Amino acid sequence: MSILKKPDLTDPKLRAKLAKGMGHNYYGEPAWPNDLLYVFPVVIIGTFACSIGLAILEPSSIGEKSNPFATPLEILPEWYFFPTFNLLRVIPNKLLGVLSMAAVPAGLLTVPFIENVNKFQNPFRRPIATTVFLIGTVVSIWLGIGATMPINNAITLGLF
Amino acid sequence: MKLNSLINLIQKSIYSCTLLLIILNIICVAPNSSNAFPIYAQQAYESPREATGRIVCANCHLAQKPVEIEAPQAVLPNTVFETVVKIPYDSNAKQILGNGSKGGLNVGAVVILPEGFKLAPVNRLSTELKEKTRNLYIQPYSAKQDNILVIGPISGDKNREIVFPILSPDPAKDKKAHFFKYPIYVGGNRGRGQIYPTGDKSNNNIVSALSSGKINKIELLDKGGFIIHVTNSSNVESTQKISPGLELRVKEGDTIQLDQALNSDPNVGGFGQNETEIVLQSPNRIKGMIVFFFASVLAQIFFVLKKKQFEKVQAAEMNF
Repeated sequence: MSILKKPDLTDPKLRAKLAKGMGHNYYGEPAWPNDLLYVFPVVIIGTFACSIGLAILEPSSIGEKSNPFATPLEILPEWYFFPTFNLLRVIPNKLLGVLSMAAVPAGLLTVPFIENVNKFQNPFRRPIATTVFLIGTVVSIWLGIGATMPINNAITLGLF
Repeated sequence: MKLNSLINLIQKSIYSCTLLLIILNIICVAPNSSNAFPIYAQQAYESPREATGRIVCANCHLAQKPVEIEAPQAVLPNTVFETVVKIPYDSNAKQILGNGSKGGLNVGAVVILPEGFKLAPVNRLSTELKEKTRNLYIQPYSAKQDNILVIGPISGDKNREIVFPILSPDPAKDKKAHFFKYPIYVGGNRGRGQIYPTGDKSNNNIVSALSSGKINKIELLDKGGFIIHVTNSSNVESTQKISPGLELRVKEGDTIQLDQALNSDPNVGGFGQNETEIVLQSPNRIKGMIVFFFASVLAQIFFVLKKKQFEKVQAAEMNF
């Protein structure tokens, strides 16, 4: 087992911090040198190996030359634009479609103000924010999958 | 002397005529005798892939059906590998032939490889691959573009999966080839087309009514096929011929509109296109990567060992 420092419970400063739910960095495995000097490089080398391996085995392909006069048969943006792209092509009114895309960053802008209504950090203690997040995630993934399908399956995914 | 030169001249002209005939024969007759319908595309288009990414077979084979391609993720240079084009269709499906009778479906495929890739020569094929491609006459699209391969039409019963043996280029010899990831585009078709290159419709089509009115008689012809007699609102009679083999959807006494479909769609086939990616991989990069991975793992192990050693020092000195 690695070296573990025990909390010094005779220290009144630490006790005060612990009472507030803080001060957990005063005990446990020491950061220097055990973590920073020895384990960090292990992780860094591992990350390098992963990226280099991927770059060699699966290099990114060079796409076709773009031609402004020839629209490809299947137009599809980068994967992270799939949900908004799907909204844009499903909503018949283009202005509404563009507004729905603008609503995404606008909604994100309100997050810090609405989030602060609840003082807790724990997601289980902020049920509304967590519910909104989970529903948003599911809907984006759903719409994202729909973007890769033909337009008549864009919303139903061909399931119903 | 004069006679001699005359004979010589006649001989020469006979030779050149025969040669011309042979060349003409190769150019005109050979493709027709192999009955290859990709020839339509080969004659009409320099490249079978339009700027939009659409493969030109779709201009005559109007129905859309799926097609799959199986290719290795990566290949080494100057290596023979196989790509499989899968053209699925219902084995019970029968299509209408040119003479109106029913028959099995034919299949055909086009594979657009990256530049430098080409059909593997027979002497480089393994016995297994030779066996798989024994009855397949795969040919390059044109003399200029040997990276585009076409096949067909061949019987679809045994060839729902077509194996293409391909030779990868060597960037050491071929300056155009690089160690990259390349796209492979593939098109596959089953069944007859709907339009000939001349623009004429084939009989594998819906026939639409030439005029509106009431059908007062449907005449069955001896050779098959029908003649539909239509009387319009101003009592003018017109006739329309329906070629043999088609199933009528209208009957005598029906009132039809202009452009109404007179028969059920006989087309059971269709064309599909798909694409995949293939990496032309350098053996040196793989070797270097393996060496690098070994070095990384070794370094990680030594970092952990050093940590364990230093923890012993910390524990002994009680200094942490």
